[in-house]
Amino acid sequence: MTDHLSLTTLNALVDGELSAGQLAVAKEHLDACNACTSSALAQSLLKTAMAKSGQRYHAPPELTDRMKRLLSEQEIPGHRHAVSSGVRLSGWAAAAIILVLFGGWMFLGRHALRSNTASTENAALMTEVCDLHIATLAANMPPQVLSSDRHTVKPWFQGKLPFSFNLPENLPDETKLEGANLTYVHDRPVAQLLYSVGRHRVSVFLQEKTGESGTSDFLTHQSGFQIAGFSTRELEIVAVSDVDSARLAGLMDMIRRVQVS
Amino acid sequence: MTLLPWRRKLHEDAPVASSFEDLALPLLPALYNLAFWLARNAHDAEDLVQETFLKALRGFSGFEEGTNFKAWIFRILRNTYLTSRSGLAALRTVALEDELGEQGESGQVIYREGAIERQTPELNLMRLGDRAAIQDAMEKLPPPLLEVVLLCDVEEMKYKEIATILEIPIGTVMSRIARARGLLRRELQANSMFSRDFRA
Repeated sequence: MTDHLSLTTLNALVDGELSAGQLAVAKEHLDACNACTSSALAQSLLKTAMAKSGQRYHAPPELTDRMKRLLSEQEIPGHRHAVSSGVRLSGWAAAAIILVLFGGWMFLGRHALRSNTASTENAALMTEVCDLHIATLAANMPPQVLSSDRHTVKPWFQGKLPFSFNLPENLPDETKLEGANLTYVHDRPVAQLLYSVGRHRVSVFLQEKTGESGTSDFLTHQSGFQIAGFSTRELEIVAVSDVDSARLAGLMDMIRRVQVS
Repeated sequence: MTLLPWRRKLHEDAPVASSFEDLALPLLPALYNLAFWLARNAHDAEDLVQETFLKALRGFSGFEEGTNFKAWIFRILRNTYLTSRSGLAALRTVALEDELGEQGESGQVIYREGAIERQTPELNLMRLGDRAAIQDAMEKLPPPLLEVVLLCDVEEMKYKEIATILEIPIGTVMSRIARARGLLRRELQANSMFSRDFRA
């Protein structure tokens, strides 16, 4: 018996990943091979032991309660509260004034809530793009598409993103396209273009614009990084880098110019 | 390349049959268990789970009903971990694919074919259900190997689901599983021999 089952086959066998045909072949071999039968048993035993031992940590009840509370609180803004349409206008001026004041207060309150939500979401977006940029630097891995050629990088995203974009041919001095990654921001697919400006690295994130979002031009700082952004009719574009703001703005300007407005 | 199985729907206001709470809360124990294994402490694990829930809730309108919610939320947890402090530290210290020198993608060289004997000491440990020894061995696995065996053995996910969550090809899932189990066996064997020597 020379052709023993490979370790991959043994694993697939105990994980229930073999097709009917592969399973039949494996069973036939196991019937005649003690060594492989022993190996299969060992892998199966290990899997069972892992399954038991792996269930080690139990969520504290406080966490469960907190999550329940958090979910109910988070879902409140999405609920549509019935407007008090039954209220009838009376002829009383005082009542009318109270209603107007109350209405104004409600409007301002809702506007403030919406603004707060928007600024919270914006802050979360900044944190997430910063984290992604740092993770890219820390991973020290080559980009998923490694090329300085825009005609290679752009087509690589075909079929991977539900939108398209343009890359500038001319770049500012010392600026070079290094490649790109497909990544996710807020669970939406995003193109992460990687540039180098001198020895600095820049991540430029391009994502499809959502109906309600409308990022106007901005330049801000977070954790020592410059973050610049703008939006076109269809895209939101945010760049993160530790390069100085002027050079980051120069790159963003080039990217903006080539987008279809 | 197949991707975006939960691709955002164009009609974001389409009615959602199952509420987020109904789908997510039953998975909290499993999410917490994985988060703790990855983060290695309760505080970070709780933060990870909470952030995962918030992100998932925010993106729930884009979740395609009828697709795999468990894989979807586990992927969010895993991506959240990768950008967390402990995840970044793990990324810095592990260059997994570089360490695959002793075996190919098929993961066939850790043990010679048919070389696993019935009465090896690590098998005895497994038979005895020595949880502590197995958990010690699991703790020594690099995070990319640990997460793959946790998803496969504890969460009983299929290779395809694991590949989707970890954003790696199925072949890499298979090689990581082979490598993880090989390392576990080796660690259990070393542990068992040490115990025997110590007792003697």
